[in-house]
Amino acid sequence: MASQILDLKAKKSFEFHAAYYPPIYAGRKAYTIEELIDGIRKVDGFSLFYHVFHPVFSSHVVPYDLHNDFAFWLRNELHDDSLAYKVSDVEGAEPKTVEQVRDEILKILESSTNKTRAQKPFHFITCRPVVFDTGKKANSIGEFIDIISNITMRSVVYHFVFRRAMGYSQRNDFSAWLDEEFHVSNLADKLSKIDPQTYVDEETLRQDILLIVNKVIYQ
Amino acid sequence: MIEKYAEIIGENELDAIFRIAEELKGISVLHINSTPKGGGVAEILSKLVPMMNELGINTQWKVIRGDNSFFNVTKTFHNSLQNGVGELLDDSFKIYEKWQGINLSEIPLDYDVVFIHDPQPAGLIKGKKKGKWVWRCHIDISNPYPPVWNFLRKYVQLYDSMIISSSVFGREDLNVPQFVIPPSIDPLSVKNREISSFTVERILRKFEIDTERPLITQISRFDRAKDPVGVIQSFKGLKKHVDAQLVYLGSPASDDPEGELVYRETIKAAEGVKDVHLLLLPPDSDLEVNAFQRGATVVMQKSVKEGFGLTVSEAMWKRKAVIGGNTGGIPLQIIHGYTGFLVNTPEEATHYLIYLLRNKEIRERIGQVAREHVRNNFLMTRELRDYLMVILLTLQGAMGRT
Repeated sequence: MASQILDLKAKKSFEFHAAYYPPIYAGRKAYTIEELIDGIRKVDGFSLFYHVFHPVFSSHVVPYDLHNDFAFWLRNELHDDSLAYKVSDVEGAEPKTVEQVRDEILKILESSTNKTRAQKPFHFITCRPVVFDTGKKANSIGEFIDIISNITMRSVVYHFVFRRAMGYSQRNDFSAWLDEEFHVSNLADKLSKIDPQTYVDEETLRQDILLIVNKVIYQ
Repeated sequence: MIEKYAEIIGENELDAIFRIAEELKGISVLHINSTPKGGGVAEILSKLVPMMNELGINTQWKVIRGDNSFFNVTKTFHNSLQNGVGELLDDSFKIYEKWQGINLSEIPLDYDVVFIHDPQPAGLIKGKKKGKWVWRCHIDISNPYPPVWNFLRKYVQLYDSMIISSSVFGREDLNVPQFVIPPSIDPLSVKNREISSFTVERILRKFEIDTERPLITQISRFDRAKDPVGVIQSFKGLKKHVDAQLVYLGSPASDDPEGELVYRETIKAAEGVKDVHLLLLPPDSDLEVNAFQRGATVVMQKSVKEGFGLTVSEAMWKRKAVIGGNTGGIPLQIIHGYTGFLVNTPEEATHYLIYLLRNKEIRERIGQVAREHVRNNFLMTRELRDYLMVILLTLQGAMGRT
């Protein structure tokens, strides 16, 4: 792809918003896998987002080798490493929404015969997004790269993960804009393939997005 | 004042605070608690209230009044809510309600948002006429004494939302949205700001600490919950392997008969153990606390019962590897093996003391990760942002009833 495309002007600029997700106790806890299954069935979609996708933020602590809160608890409290790895590696890339992730985690947990009772329970948390305008706008792919490289990751995750995973949009906002404005379907598709569920460090996600953009643009 | 935090948290984080606050400009907020100074609540309000005003939110802070009988009642409430056992004084509920009535007649409550801190003023909700009310619970209510909780619960249910410090303290018998906001430390306070190594050395030498040998520090009241005797036992174990020193720094216990007793128990436990320094300093010895945390090779907070235990974050902010008791809010701060070590017994504490004293590289790596963990999660600016978001969501009624 020619690098001249970097300066082409979009008809519609990309407006960067960002979000925090203040945690709210969901009013239930689980000591066993059976109770965990029951809880996962009953909590709202925001809760699934919080436990499965929110660990992408460095402030949300999970061990480096596990990707979500459920997996962390299964290993730490139930000492079921094998089940923890399966739950950790559940797919979260497009077009999966939190509802499909919920179903997949339930399927994995329902296959378990582990009857252990944990000493410390899993506390279900939910959240609500607080969204704000960052004041930044990209009018070209060049500007898009510049902004992505230093904007708060709260913005990147909001556009790249939250809206799509919560089902507010079919596709992540970046791919949708790039494809619509510049017809770079190859780049858009490659970004769509990134599975944000497997990231526990926000800066690594930022780097990977930028590397893909660079690779496709300069190839 | 808020801009001063930019170099600590970065422009992006600071910008987010201003942008979220933009939505709240011009609204009126009232904080009510039970004491103007002393204790963690007054400390956080003394910072939070000016910061909220600086952001364009008209924020005031009022303190309820009461007589000795009222504060005796609320002290028994406090203890019985945290410990699960209690002994109610005669007419406790009547005395509590009488003073809620008196304060209601004296404090104007005409605000868009009212924050009520802790159980002492919780009953003021009876006087709610307008606005949204938030109950900020700073204590552990996960295992309360049922008669007191049942009494308090009928007030709590009337709030629009509430805040707890950890999801571990969450309750299933409430349908009020329970936001989870951990407490925080102020990186610019005397207790936490950067001080020079010369100041650290001056203070350590003043208390006859050998700055050439390893130093273990615990900063805590002489309270059984902080397990000072367990700290001595752990240190005794360490002494068999490493020529180290211990400083246990607390405040005088003259107004606390149990504190005096525990202090004497600790002295007894330390008899015959070399290099133990049990220090009693005035409660406002913030610079000394800062110096002892910075001068320590390893910091301990070996509590067996704890609310949140912010001394852990204070030490972690100073890049220290901390060995903490596996209780209360400590596991939120110490992720075992990553940001420090959690222990359940003095023997486990000894084990990790030896491990850390023998491995400088691991100490430093953990200290660095610990500092970033505090930067991300336990600084004052994060708590300010969380309060702004609770106000926004509560005003919008966006949480639904859980």
